[in-house]
Amino acid sequence: MHEILTLLKPRIWPFTNRSVRKKARGSRLKLFFFGTIGLLFWMGIFLVALRVLTYFKGIEEIGDILGYKLLSMILIVCFALLIFSSILTSLSKLYLSRDLQLVHAMPVSSYKIFISRWIDSTVESAWMVVIFTLPVFLAYGIVYRSGLFYYANAVAALAALVMNASAISTTMVMVAVIVIPANRLKSLFIFLGILFFVVIYLAIRLSRPELLVDPEVFDTVMVYISSLQTPQLPILPSTWAYDSIKAGLTGQFKSGLFHTALAWSFFVTIAFILIMVAEAIYFQGFSKTQTASARLFKKNTAGWRCFDLLPGPIKSFTVKEIKTFLRDQTQWSQLFLIAALVVIYVYNFKVLPLDKSPIKTVYLQNLFSFLNMGLALFVLTAITARFAYPAVSMEREAFWLVKSSPLSLKAFLWIKFFIYYFPLLILTEALIVATNILLSVTPFMMTLSIVTVFFLVPGIVAIGIGLGAAYPDFKAENPTQTVTSFGGLVFMIVCAGYIGLVILIEAGPVYNLFMADIRGKTLSPAIWLWTIGSFAAAFVFSLVAIALPMRFGENRLSKRLI
Amino acid sequence: MIELKALTKKYGDFKAVDDLNLLVKKGEIFGFIGPNGAGKTTTIKMIGGILAPSAGTVTVAGIDIQQDPEKAKSKIGFIPDRPYLYEKLTGMEFLKFTADLYGVPADIFHKKAQQNLEMFSLADWSDELIESYSHGMKQRLIMSAALLHDPEVIIVDEPMVGLDPMAIMMVKDLFQRLAYKGVTVFMSTHTLAVAEDICERIGVINKGHLIASGTTADLQRKANVTDAALERVFLNLTTNVN
Repeated sequence: MHEILTLLKPRIWPFTNRSVRKKARGSRLKLFFFGTIGLLFWMGIFLVALRVLTYFKGIEEIGDILGYKLLSMILIVCFALLIFSSILTSLSKLYLSRDLQLVHAMPVSSYKIFISRWIDSTVESAWMVVIFTLPVFLAYGIVYRSGLFYYANAVAALAALVMNASAISTTMVMVAVIVIPANRLKSLFIFLGILFFVVIYLAIRLSRPELLVDPEVFDTVMVYISSLQTPQLPILPSTWAYDSIKAGLTGQFKSGLFHTALAWSFFVTIAFILIMVAEAIYFQGFSKTQTASARLFKKNTAGWRCFDLLPGPIKSFTVKEIKTFLRDQTQWSQLFLIAALVVIYVYNFKVLPLDKSPIKTVYLQNLFSFLNMGLALFVLTAITARFAYPAVSMEREAFWLVKSSPLSLKAFLWIKFFIYYFPLLILTEALIVATNILLSVTPFMMTLSIVTVFFLVPGIVAIGIGLGAAYPDFKAENPTQTVTSFGGLVFMIVCAGYIGLVILIEAGPVYNLFMADIRGKTLSPAIWLWTIGSFAAAFVFSLVAIALPMRFGENRLSKRLI
Repeated sequence: MIELKALTKKYGDFKAVDDLNLLVKKGEIFGFIGPNGAGKTTTIKMIGGILAPSAGTVTVAGIDIQQDPEKAKSKIGFIPDRPYLYEKLTGMEFLKFTADLYGVPADIFHKKAQQNLEMFSLADWSDELIESYSHGMKQRLIMSAALLHDPEVIIVDEPMVGLDPMAIMMVKDLFQRLAYKGVTVFMSTHTLAVAEDICERIGVINKGHLIASGTTADLQRKANVTDAALERVFLNLTTNVN
């Protein structure tokens, strides 16, 4: 026990010894800031839950049924999240953490190392899920006017749910690691998790949830929801938690205690099995993780002939960029998210209820088309932030190769620009054309959209590459870390400003041209002058948006030391 | 050849390298030694064009690296002390990447890449991802890559770190063969035995200053010790300056 507690101290001391450390004041401010945000979020969840449950309680006959259905769904989702989170955390804590080599070199048995790591993993994987579901259970207690027993029992039931989820997932992980290496397993789970999330998101969107707020279907939807069956398998820990908490809500003391005790007795059993399995195979799995994984797909490196036409340095970086992208499993999940985003974006235009609007359809279609340019470019900004902005940072410590090579920084940045420019241009133009076809816009609006996007895309990509070079983070483990920095924020603000400015400049002339076309009228010379001037200004801004950020990035990057 | 004139590097008020003057002839193996924090790596990086000097000039193969950095770097094979590479590329892909950057023609590349991989015992690993390489293997891969474009100057920081005895012998032999062919080798090292073994001249840097430069015999005279090992010479020189 003493050794287990000692092994946990490096995790506990950063919290308990916070005031002794240097820069304590700065970290207290940071804690206060994030604590306040967390508290506001917590309050928001509580108020929404209170509102929904109060509403359900007010519905005659099916109100309570809806409340319990919601409780059941929340607990199943909680359980699923805990399992998923615990799988990823236990993989890291038990097999992939950098300090494991040091820990395993100590005179401590591997099953004690396992127990300390498992405790750490359980707390880390569950704390956020627990803290942000507590307000929901609090709301239940208030709305159903439950006594103290409910609150105490709910805490015990939730704790059992967390422990059971952690024990089950850790046992599965230990067995799986014997077959599949830990790092590959982690990538696979992240990929599957994101794929699952994307499929669920698409399914929800394609099922048109906006119909739920249509008053004509409201009553029948409510009845439909009340008849929904959620999995109530008696062997699921979430079922025990549901039965226990529901019993607590209705004042059924004995039933509540029984189901809580059932959950805890299962935990004792699974914990025993977990420790036996750990003693048998944990160290084997850890040893296996120390060896490099064999390549699954070995291809002849004589491929990529299509890039032979490119000059040497451009070919080098293009091929390198594509290969490292495709071989990084964490990038695939991002591609799925982008694909889902694009599908939903286009689908939203397909289901726009234009015919139900009091404004003339032809006006709406073309108004949406004009606004669509801005929206599509914001989507492009988000994609550029994810892929082009971190492009320089992703060289990481290998950036010395660039600095020592006979390739100027300017050329290096322009190569990065063109690598991302072409695919992003094709994507954005495809998005614009597809949505304009769905909107059945006039040829004028289609041409305007295509041309505007054609001139704005290089600016956005250049801002991404340029600012990414000006504010690089060569220590970042993955691209998302760089985007959430100060430079990433500057990038989003500058792009938003750039897109907004061009849309504003074009708005007036486009309106005049469109209305003249619809009404069959000619424009006055003053309007023509304004129109030409506006489009010329938009063109000039686009050129500036390409040149300035690239030069800024080059200057700042050249001053960086390695 | 390499020529450093009044080379200085300042970080704020701190001078990491101070008024360094040095000439390394064509085909010479020059060793650069000094205590930790003396300015060795800073000097190496300035010669390699990775770091801009605060003052002074660096001329490599007759080209001022600040005036025409790309041309100068095309003459250099740079081998850093820490082998950070693109982990998701295979060994062969990394060599191809380097070859394309330095403009090595495709027909020459295949033959040279195979030769270098065999010389550095990496031929069996050429299709494996670099992330599965050991530290020593990564170091050898970087050396293979640095030689692909037949550089006139090799700049190497701690060449023997992570190499086994056989690889160390091979690298020593390689540097000597390259020097015989006229390639200038500028080598920074902590391993005094290596410097003594293969370097024709050795420069000792301490606190940013070049405190001594010459053959082993020259350094012994300067340190007022005769027939002493380089360690004793080094300690005497650096302690005296302190």
